[in-house]
Amino acid sequence: MDITSETHSQHISRQFNQELEELKTHLMTMGGLVEQQVQQAIQALLDGDSRLAEQVSEGDHLVNEMQLKIDDECTRVLARRQPAASDLRLVLAVIRATADLERIGDEASKIARNAMTLIESGNGARGLVEVRHISEHVRKMLRDALTAFARFDTELALKVVHEDDAVDDEYGSAMRSLMTFMMEDNRAIGPVLSVMWILRALERVGDHADNLAEYVIYLVKGLDIRHMDPEQLDEDALTRKG
Amino acid sequence: MSAVRAALQRRRPRAEGAGAWLAAGCVALSLLLLGALLLLIAVRGLGHFWPASVSLVELDDGRRLAGRAVRELPLPDGEGRERLYFTGNRGLDGQVWHWLPVARIVAESRPRDLVVLERRRWGDFIGRLVAVEPAPDAVAAGAGNGATAWAQLEARLAALERLREARDTLQRETIRPLARRLEADPGDGEARRALAAATARAARLRAAMDETILVLESVDGRRLRQPLDEVLAARRPNALSTWEKLAAWMQGVWRFLSEGPSAANSAGGVWPAIFGTVLMVLVMSLLVTPFGVLAAFYLNEVAHQGRLTRLVRIAVRNLAGVPSIVYGVFGLGVFVYGLGGTLDEWFFSDALPTPTFGTGGLLWASLTLALLTLPVVIVASEEGLARIPDHQREGALALGATRLEMLGRVVLPMAVPAMLTGVILAIARAAGEVVPLMLVGVAKLAPQIPVDGDFPFLHLDRKFMHLGYHIYGAAFHGDDVQAAMPLVFATALLLVLVILVLNLTAIFLRHHVSTRHAAPSRR
Amino acid sequence: MSVRGPIIDFPPEASCFDLEGLSLAYGETPALQELTLRVPRHRVTAFIGPSGCGKSTLLRALNRLHDLNESVSRRGRIRLEGQDIHAPEVAVDELRRRVGMVFQTPNPFPMSIYDNVAFGLRLRGGLTRRRRDDIVEWALSAAALWDEVKDRLRASAWSLSGGQQQRLVIARTLAVKPEVLLLDEPASALDPISTLKIEDLIRSLKGQLTLVLVTHNMQQAARVSDYTAFLQQGRLVEYAPTDTLFTNPRLARTENYITGRMA
Repeated sequence: MDITSETHSQHISRQFNQELEELKTHLMTMGGLVEQQVQQAIQALLDGDSRLAEQVSEGDHLVNEMQLKIDDECTRVLARRQPAASDLRLVLAVIRATADLERIGDEASKIARNAMTLIESGNGARGLVEVRHISEHVRKMLRDALTAFARFDTELALKVVHEDDAVDDEYGSAMRSLMTFMMEDNRAIGPVLSVMWILRALERVGDHADNLAEYVIYLVKGLDIRHMDPEQLDEDALTRKG
Repeated sequence: MSAVRAALQRRRPRAEGAGAWLAAGCVALSLLLLGALLLLIAVRGLGHFWPASVSLVELDDGRRLAGRAVRELPLPDGEGRERLYFTGNRGLDGQVWHWLPVARIVAESRPRDLVVLERRRWGDFIGRLVAVEPAPDAVAAGAGNGATAWAQLEARLAALERLREARDTLQRETIRPLARRLEADPGDGEARRALAAATARAARLRAAMDETILVLESVDGRRLRQPLDEVLAARRPNALSTWEKLAAWMQGVWRFLSEGPSAANSAGGVWPAIFGTVLMVLVMSLLVTPFGVLAAFYLNEVAHQGRLTRLVRIAVRNLAGVPSIVYGVFGLGVFVYGLGGTLDEWFFSDALPTPTFGTGGLLWASLTLALLTLPVVIVASEEGLARIPDHQREGALALGATRLEMLGRVVLPMAVPAMLTGVILAIARAAGEVVPLMLVGVAKLAPQIPVDGDFPFLHLDRKFMHLGYHIYGAAFHGDDVQAAMPLVFATALLLVLVILVLNLTAIFLRHHVSTRHAAPSRR
Repeated sequence: MSVRGPIIDFPPEASCFDLEGLSLAYGETPALQELTLRVPRHRVTAFIGPSGCGKSTLLRALNRLHDLNESVSRRGRIRLEGQDIHAPEVAVDELRRRVGMVFQTPNPFPMSIYDNVAFGLRLRGGLTRRRRDDIVEWALSAAALWDEVKDRLRASAWSLSGGQQQRLVIARTLAVKPEVLLLDEPASALDPISTLKIEDLIRSLKGQLTLVLVTHNMQQAARVSDYTAFLQQGRLVEYAPTDTLFTNPRLARTENYITGRMA
């Protein structure tokens, strides 16, 4: 059975409703924080703002703390309520989502640290155009995945899953052009490597956003689409829509 | 908290306290009354057997009386008191009770030589023993020594007892079998001769028993000749020590329990009545238990639980409220005249017009009481059955038991205690019931108990005696109601004890049944 | 909402009970309506649903315990191993020996432990004492009770604890070697430890016989059963492998019930 964002607030036990509602709220708060970290890390890089980069790097522990807190809440719900069906799927999805969000936070601080290196080296680095391009794409993915989670929107989630392929393509071509830079100019190897790390981190963020979207589909449809062929996915998801 | 609520809560415990006191008071009062009743019956009944001292009283006008002081009351005019003496000697005096004003008594003594004789007729004799005449032809030898005469009397009483035994043995072992042989074969010459010889021997024994005559003298000097055979017991109460009195008391109680009645039920024992009561109750239980249990099984387990069943159930419960005399009339009409008359026509027609079953008897009395107590057994058994949880029945069925197996192996054993409770209640009701019995078989005097050595050993057609009816007869129909009063109390006490024993037996039985498996605590 | 056909992932020949359009009513009140489902052999099948949904009624229909109640009327068919259990040639006591039942309240008879277990054996007789002793021991062992009672077989069955009593009742039922064991809320009157023992027992028995469990404890159904059917107002709502039903039910009514939501 498909569920909606309202589904979890219809229990006979109001306390249970509230606990599940809090899980979702806290997850969204964490998602917002992580989104902001990514956005600020990129901004620090593009603006050459080393203070902002430092702030992002230090902000990571907040993300970690939130993960611990939400995981704790999930454990409590599992132990006390023994949730079944959609409730069980919600808790599982939230646990998995916090793990991915935490990794995204790690990637954001990685971006910030590489940005600081670049800013300190003082060279106008190459490849920033690609970074800007990919980062916008990835941030949109992340935003969409979180929105899909908040709204239990499987169509939006499916879009994110498909988007990930495009990001991977873009990442591949960006890497190739950066390689060309390195071959052309030996002195540029250091900064270009940093940019490559940043691109790599962005690509990872995209992967995690993809995971988040998959959890939304599991949550709503009870269908585990991890490790599935995306081509097949569409058809499957549509037939199960009901 | 509002003022009203506070007031309510203040009052509640006091109200509860008052209620508890009231309830406890009622219980205490009931117990007190019950205890007092039993005590009264026990004291008045058992006191009768105590060999009380006998007084020799001299009045101011020179009259002399010997008797047992019974009680003392103030005179109606309020001056002085008067005392009631039991003087016995019916046959000599017109009255056996004397109210004597205490003021007119000149002297009162307790001579050791005063004798109290219990006689088969005329009640007690109180006076002096003058002589024992060994042979009818011996001339009365004037006033002999009282002590010697007493020793002779004791010896003669013992001899008489042996004679009685010899006669009874003869009757039982020789005469009766011979009579039966003759009845079966009137041409048996040998039996005829043996019977004649035995009868002659019995007559000789009889004569020997009649031989001894006591010469008695009342305290005012009148003489009386008393055949010893009519004397049941003799004692000199003033000469007895306390221990001897106790022994005499126990002997009296034992005789009361083991002997037949005498003096038109106003004296003697009640053994036939005890036996009749117990046997009647037992036969009644044997009749009512299977009948009531089967009826309860039908009503609770088999019958469709519809309006008709409900109606039957109400009718059964209301049967318990029908006055017992109605059952008596029913028993007389249906059992005695209807059923008994028919039986007589079919099987005992050669004895007609003397009825065999067509008159009141043990069987009809038991049947009538069985009918009377049937509702009790049905109701109790039904309640026992209804209390068995359905899952027990279903448990048996789910194991593949048929309905009959389920009822017999699971339901019946569980319902037995309740059924026994019903039987206990039935016994309690039946043992105390007298009214219907008067119509269907109880007899004022039936010294032959319904069980003996003659085939078929248990004679359900015979009339029988009953303790309850014995009380009624002794209290209202004796020659001397006043004298029979202690006996009435003693019999009443006995009736209570018999019912108690019957109930205890049934309770023991039920307890034994229900503790074979420890009762679960949640029931 | 239309009732969808059950998800059946076992072949028809693996079914023990086969219900076809079964309807039951107490007088005018319908208790079961148009039930069609198959119960797989040598598996644990649980029936769940709110009070009064007809799950106990269904269970009692499977061994014709309703025969006792004249007000119950029935339509439709129940087949046990292909044989219609209401066919005239089926003896009801024989059927009940094949389809044993354990009730909500432990109901040992007021006899000794041994006599309880031997009760069903004695009904048919024909066993030597030796053979009967063997079966009693086997049944008590199968019900995981032998070690606890082997030294007091002559003691009253009512001296056992509630959980032991329930296992005794299961042993008593096993002793007649039934093909099916119906369990009507077998642990609802028991403490958690006893409940776990009973649940373990249910799982250990499924290799030998078919078990049908009725419970209002959904966690219990989830723990012990292979298949779960959800009934509501006398109708079958959803019937699926337990894993599916408890993680991803197909119908909102099932979802609402098992997650404790308002309908």
